[in-house]
Amino acid sequence: MSKINAPKSNREFVEACLKSGDAVRIKQEVDWDLEAGAIVRRVCELGESAPFMEKIKDYPGFSYFGAPLSTYRRMAISLGMDPASSLPEIGKEYLKRTNSEPIAPVVIDRKDAPCKENILLGDDVDLCKLPVPLVHDGDGGRYVGTWHAVVTRHPVRGDVNWGMYRQMMWDGRTMSGAVFPFSDLGKTLTEYYLPRGEGCPFATAIGLSPLAAMAACAPSPIPEPELVSMLSGEPARLVKCETNDLEVPADAEIILEGVILPDYKVEEGPFGEYTGYRTSPRDFRVTFRVNAITYRNNATMTISNMGTPQDEGQMLRSFSLGLELEKLLRSQGIPITGVYMHPRSTHHMMIVGVKPTYSGIASQIAHLAFGSKLGPWFHMVMVVDDKTDIYNWDEVYHAFCTRCHPENGIHIYKNTVGTPLYPFATPHERKYSIGSKVLFDCLWPVDWDPVNDVPTTVSFKNVYSKEIQDQVTSNWTAYGYPPVK
Amino acid sequence: MNQWEVFVMDVAELAEDTDLELTIRTLNPGVQKYTYKRVKAQVSSALDKFADQLQVRLGRGQLSKARFSIKVLEEIQRCPAKYL
Ligand SMILES: Cc1cc2nc3c(=O)[nH]c(=O)nc-3n(C[C@H](O)[C@H](O)[C@H](O)COP(=O)(O)O)c2cc1C
Ligand SMILES: [Mn+2]
Repeated sequence: MSKINAPKSNREFVEACLKSGDAVRIKQEVDWDLEAGAIVRRVCELGESAPFMEKIKDYPGFSYFGAPLSTYRRMAISLGMDPASSLPEIGKEYLKRTNSEPIAPVVIDRKDAPCKENILLGDDVDLCKLPVPLVHDGDGGRYVGTWHAVVTRHPVRGDVNWGMYRQMMWDGRTMSGAVFPFSDLGKTLTEYYLPRGEGCPFATAIGLSPLAAMAACAPSPIPEPELVSMLSGEPARLVKCETNDLEVPADAEIILEGVILPDYKVEEGPFGEYTGYRTSPRDFRVTFRVNAITYRNNATMTISNMGTPQDEGQMLRSFSLGLELEKLLRSQGIPITGVYMHPRSTHHMMIVGVKPTYSGIASQIAHLAFGSKLGPWFHMVMVVDDKTDIYNWDEVYHAFCTRCHPENGIHIYKNTVGTPLYPFATPHERKYSIGSKVLFDCLWPVDWDPVNDVPTTVSFKNVYSKEIQDQVTSNWTAYGYPPVK
Repeated sequence: MNQWEVFVMDVAELAEDTDLELTIRTLNPGVQKYTYKRVKAQVSSALDKFADQLQVRLGRGQLSKARFSIKVLEEIQRCPAKYL
């Protein structure tokens, strides 16, 4: 296997992006209070280069890196690929690496870990010493964790979890966050710590290598420290925490250590979300008490600004949700051509291409998709046949508008797992995370006579012989038309 | 004078001239801006009644037109002492 040359830290990633023209160095002072957030938001909406903000008001020595993965070019760079790689090429590489042999992380000595260059303990611990941004005007607070990983361990099973769960600064020692009960951390809390009334040790790592961040928000069953090692083709470097037994990425910019409190909650939100709205209600959410802060010299805080398309919440999540569903459907032997989520759907619609070899195949796909660990994050599955290009929305939309029978092709599932984030959900549904789902079956029914019942697609490619097609294409410019690219 | 902000679903939650328990955040400039406290306080729509000022945000972060003056009577510690 050829060696993968992926950036191993946020610093290497920033360098690579500056070199390829995919990041901009902002030298003038930027305010942590809204200005930085507004820059990142505009960058996302314009599909621009990632801002590396070198000078932050009130916080000498710190910098920001915004919108780390909000373009496919930066996603390709993060995987060590050519920035010009196409989305299907990037997806193929993700599948290849995450289907490869497991690679275990390594634990390195504290003295070799950059994240230990500065250590704050006891009364010195104060989140206000970090340049925590107010990302959107009207947010319920400054968000420490917008592009990060919350590290925890299941105390019985021992498995380690890195999850990207947003964290708001409540005061200098307290954060609260949206850890949904169906997430890996949510299950560890509800299965173990909450019923026992015990605090759950955690560490938050900010300014991760882009692949570590990708792993933290990928819905993969592979534990994230292994997943990032497989994605980068070499063992991730971890280091022990100062105040608990957890291990964190040694090259991260900032580490917060502490305890998730079982019997105390503070208000969290509202917050601008990946759907493009501020939807979920302010509520008492999972509360984190911070007992230690460690950080690199000249630490860079990473910022994602979720809102209208497109930002990394939509790009990366639609990428990994689609590919993880593809793996699941293939593992069940379903003859799919692929799975695609358009980022502009804010990862709400799964488009699945399949060879319709038996009746009910679309329902089988929908049941697997909605019933899986991925299911809470989308509510629409659209199934098209193997001749439809799932990446081409014009083709998919045509299939949807012509083949999906209003009565037989639309299937509604009630009382499913939901999240408080769905903008269309009723206030009651949001409060209790009640969901509902829909399948759009755009396949010709298997019980139609394929010759006499199934309509013929009337297109240049489909209704003319090879000879006529060749004749017309070879004469195209002679007819007076410009050449077709 | 201190500047404070509170999130409510309805401005009517801010009954005047009676002791309220509120979660408020400071808007004073500086690195502590936007950090929260739980307090016992009184508010008044008469802006000159108390020295500190309070602005209000609604359910999804919208700034309300309503303005109050506020007197913070005491800080309330909700967090169990064992964690402090
Ligand atoms: C920017 C960003 C913010 C996110 N915030 C949250 C969050 O607050 N709560 C949550 O449960 N999931 C959130 N997610 C989705 C999780 O990261 C995702 O579901 C991940 O797979 C969770 O890991 P788990 O499968 O180990 O639970 C966020 C994702 C991104 C990209
Ligand atoms: Mn996980």
